[in-house]
Amino acid sequence: MKIAYYPGCSLHSTGVEYDISTRKVCDVLGIELTEVKDWICCGSSPAHQCDELMSVALPAKNLALVAQTGDFKEVCAPCASCYSRLKGAQYKLADENLKKDVEQVIGTKYPEDITVLHMLDVIAKKIGVEAIEEKVQRSLGGMKIASYYGCLMTRPPKITGKDSYENPTDMDSVLEVLGAEPVDWNLKTFCCGASFALTQTDVVLELTKKILADAEASGAEAISVGCPLCHANLDGRQQQINEKFNTDFNIPIFYFTELMGLAFGIGAKELGVFKHLTEVEDFLKERALL
Amino acid sequence: MKIIGDKQIKIDTALAKEIAERSGENVFLCYQCKKCASGCPSREFMTSTPTQLMRYVQLGMIDEAMKQNTIWYCLSCETCSTRCPQDIDIAHVVDTIRIMVQEKKIKADTKNSRLFNWLWMTILRYMGRMYEIGLTGALNLFTGKPFKDMSLGMKMIKKGKLKLFPSFKKPLETKKMFDRAKRLSK
Repeated sequence: MKIAYYPGCSLHSTGVEYDISTRKVCDVLGIELTEVKDWICCGSSPAHQCDELMSVALPAKNLALVAQTGDFKEVCAPCASCYSRLKGAQYKLADENLKKDVEQVIGTKYPEDITVLHMLDVIAKKIGVEAIEEKVQRSLGGMKIASYYGCLMTRPPKITGKDSYENPTDMDSVLEVLGAEPVDWNLKTFCCGASFALTQTDVVLELTKKILADAEASGAEAISVGCPLCHANLDGRQQQINEKFNTDFNIPIFYFTELMGLAFGIGAKELGVFKHLTEVEDFLKERALL
Repeated sequence: MKIIGDKQIKIDTALAKEIAERSGENVFLCYQCKKCASGCPSREFMTSTPTQLMRYVQLGMIDEAMKQNTIWYCLSCETCSTRCPQDIDIAHVVDTIRIMVQEKKIKADTKNSRLFNWLWMTILRYMGRMYEIGLTGALNLFTGKPFKDMSLGMKMIKKGKLKLFPSFKKPLETKKMFDRAKRLSK
């Protein structure tokens, strides 16, 4: 299967291991990813907070770049924020007047026939759990995992088209066939505070603490994510949370693609899991996954 | 029985009308069910809840709607927009008010968001892609906290999670886009 790939800024920096593991896993599953040529930033939260026209024009430009990269009818974005911006722009561009303005801004035609998918959609829906199960080389051995979807993979449903947005289960089904045991927990789609990571870090620490605490209370040994911003907060801020709230969280945060890679028998180092700020080495060693 | 004349009832609908024109959202559909306030992960930090914000807009209470910190604590998590029984895209209403505050240069408790947005868009305009070290460095410098998140940043550099140098992708192209958008919105 051939598909256009829009990594977004985070996967070239703070979420580089998500990019590495996504490519490895897609390789195993026979998904040929073609990176969108000369892609630019989607605008993320700042764009929609300060400039409505640019917040639509930036994703539209990227969709035009997808069409220029090759004969692609589908593009996948692993970052939930990029996915939401691309998808949201498509929703708004149904308005003909806005489309005219946007085409003027991007200086090219806006292609209407491209489907935007999140990486999890590609894995869980297009490939499907049966095909994934066939590739499993070593089971995750009943590892208890809280699958965390955050906000924008599912919300708002009128834009994402997702049916189960309060209790999504796609990631859980994937983890299950890898031999993990997804736990039932409350904060699956709670916000980690992503867009405030730099401006209002206190909010992020408070919200992220709630997520970690609920996952732990529900018996999870690790958390699985599908967004580089969620990962940066849950993984990178654990030490600051422990210092601020006098807690002792030490919960490994994996991208779901890393867990897939581990189950497919790919080496931990090759998948980039040692780039996490919350160490995972002992955790993986104990479970013979190193 | 009291008799109240039309002139004694004063509701200024200018704010609600401007929001409707810009966003297509009708705040008068809100009947204060408080679903948005109950689900909002950020409400504990806000001066008012999203439900109260909707009422302020309905009543044309500009100061409360535009100058409080409430809109600047919105995380754009879309929980309110998803759950609103009247299908009001509340997060979009919030974004619209934020844009109006920034455009009209209203003095408000923005929690550095205005600065952050400006820095982000400026980097984007000239580089095409985000440059995290530049963004964080500039933000910390402007807010007078040069060492904020310093040890976290160093760890990330060691792990190869931050680019030391920006990558310029079609910089002229993004600058042109911004220029054309500016001309169009005039």
